[in-house]
Amino acid sequence: MTALTRSVLRKLAPRRRATAADAPIGPPAAAAAAAQPARAPVEIAPDDPLLAYLQAAGEAVDVEALELDSPALRELRAARVRIAVPLVAQGELIGVLSLGARRSEQDYSSDDRRLLDNLAARAAPALRVGQLVREQQAEAATRQRFEQELEIARLIQQHFLPKQLPDLGGWQLAAFYRPAREVGGDFYDVIPLPDGRVGLVVGDVTDKGVPAALVMSATRTILRATATRLVEPGTVLEHVNEHLCPDMPEKMFVTCLYGVLEPATGLLRFANAGHDVPYVRTAGGVVELRARGMPLGLLTGMAYEEKEMVLAPGDSVLLHSDGIVEAHAPDREMYGFPRLKATVGRGPGGQELIDVVLADLDAFTGPGAEQEDDITMLSLQRTATAAAAPAAASAGDGDAQVLAEFELPSVPGNERQALAGVAVAVAGLALAPAQLERLKTAVAEATMNAIEHGNENVAARAVAIRVLHQPARARLRVQVTDGSHGGELPAPEVPDIDAKLAGTQLPRGWGLLLIESMVDETRVSSGPQGHTLELVLYLEGDPDDDA
Amino acid sequence: MHESATAADVREAAPGVCVIDITGDVTAASEEALVAAYDDASARGARAIVLSFAGLAYMNSGGIGLIVMLLVRAQRADQRVLAYGLSGHYRQIFELTRLDEAVAIHDSEQDALRVASAMG
Repeated sequence: MTALTRSVLRKLAPRRRATAADAPIGPPAAAAAAAQPARAPVEIAPDDPLLAYLQAAGEAVDVEALELDSPALRELRAARVRIAVPLVAQGELIGVLSLGARRSEQDYSSDDRRLLDNLAARAAPALRVGQLVREQQAEAATRQRFEQELEIARLIQQHFLPKQLPDLGGWQLAAFYRPAREVGGDFYDVIPLPDGRVGLVVGDVTDKGVPAALVMSATRTILRATATRLVEPGTVLEHVNEHLCPDMPEKMFVTCLYGVLEPATGLLRFANAGHDVPYVRTAGGVVELRARGMPLGLLTGMAYEEKEMVLAPGDSVLLHSDGIVEAHAPDREMYGFPRLKATVGRGPGGQELIDVVLADLDAFTGPGAEQEDDITMLSLQRTATAAAAPAAASAGDGDAQVLAEFELPSVPGNERQALAGVAVAVAGLALAPAQLERLKTAVAEATMNAIEHGNENVAARAVAIRVLHQPARARLRVQVTDGSHGGELPAPEVPDIDAKLAGTQLPRGWGLLLIESMVDETRVSSGPQGHTLELVLYLEGDPDDDA
Repeated sequence: MHESATAADVREAAPGVCVIDITGDVTAASEEALVAAYDDASARGARAIVLSFAGLAYMNSGGIGLIVMLLVRAQRADQRVLAYGLSGHYRQIFELTRLDEAVAIHDSEQDALRVASAMG
């Protein structure tokens, strides 16, 4: 009887089956195989003539008798394969049975060949089913991985977008962000700046998914840190570009429009790193906020043109991302800039303008259309003629400048972000290293307290952090506010290491001791927002304080 | 995103002395890593455990609570706990919590090991 060594069959990628198949072939003859270890399957290259020959043959092929200039054929002969039986399912070569010499050393008879052809004809469909099942499993796993990655990207994106917008007296400010299913790299930000100024940002990272989300978060962080230190929008973008360039992944870059608004005067100064041009509806029609500049992260040493415009009462600005103008109608027509410009011209301002643009866009793309790219809008309208709110942080804060203001979801571990945010905000104050470390520990502990005790670890309840600088009094104040409205918590017991080691106190409970030891003063207050713990640092500290 | 990344690797530095190299964060979320390292060191028969904080990135009150918990266990098992590699800031925290009275703090691994071995 024949010595069927083994059938070696491997999944062929569906898209490759159409052109060629790298059908693997079994090891050599049984006589040899008995004495030798099994060899690796023979790979048939897609352009090897043996492939077409086996596919066309449809029956057992005598390897010795074949006359083909084929590397795979030479390999088969070297492996002492005598008969190759193509396994064909639905017209596709999906594998090959390879056989060595018969044990009797006689040639294969026509009966043997018929038997082999029969076997191949029955085995091939079953094998194909097996291959398809494996392909489907692999595809399902890939899909699941893809969905998980999208979810991560969405989480990163959402985390770095403002949770709420500041209230600017005399101005209506509204924002909208809707990610596409395959999350892009859009972002927007509103940054409180010294002297009551406000930084406005809309940006877009090329690429999608997690890579775009990570670059977006880095850009936003660098931009925030730079915006609070530097005044000129063009200089801010220059610095952000210099920081981004060294680490920017290949073929990625960031377009970004950055403007600084003085709410009291309506002066808007802006610079643009290759982002879509914003529109302003004025009494005299719609104007474009044009300023030249390359996208961020491409080339170092870039300069960014800076322009300015005074927004009059009633004027309305729309910052937007390309997800709007590049949206398509069912007939593939693009929404385009002129249509958006016209919509801005017709529309009101603030949230209403965003609603009008969205309604127009939905009507254009048609019902049930899948959103192609992220859509982001930041809309600003000057509503009142009266001078806007002054720069002071709040009544009684005197000369206080707000260095940073942000919110964090009440998730354990988020205190790391709080301390990082505060560290960035105070970077310009040149604190002694030891003083900065103590501030960071105090901020982290106060935030942990707010997350765990004030907000009871409910992620949706935000912890608000505000960093104030009072240069005249040489004070730095960090306010950590939770959303609790209950009565005062009972005073915790004073931690004592001896009691803890003796087991009469729990091992934990060090937070308040740390907070009080790390800063010069602490103050507790309650307001409509909740409980606030204020940490106060005296800035004219011990000059030897440099550890 | 904010999961604590703590690595705590145990090595036997001398007979009866294990060093636990702590890298990353020490927070309440580090409990599993630190307890596993402590158990590992104890299983190797450590009479003295040296905590290396040379790779410490961040420690908060939750992490201090965890160190206290390990100290309680070490005390019950009659093991000594030493430490080195603390930055000035965290050294100050050990002092104001009086943790430094329960954990002998040293400047270098060499110093810590010399003392740990001498306690034999």
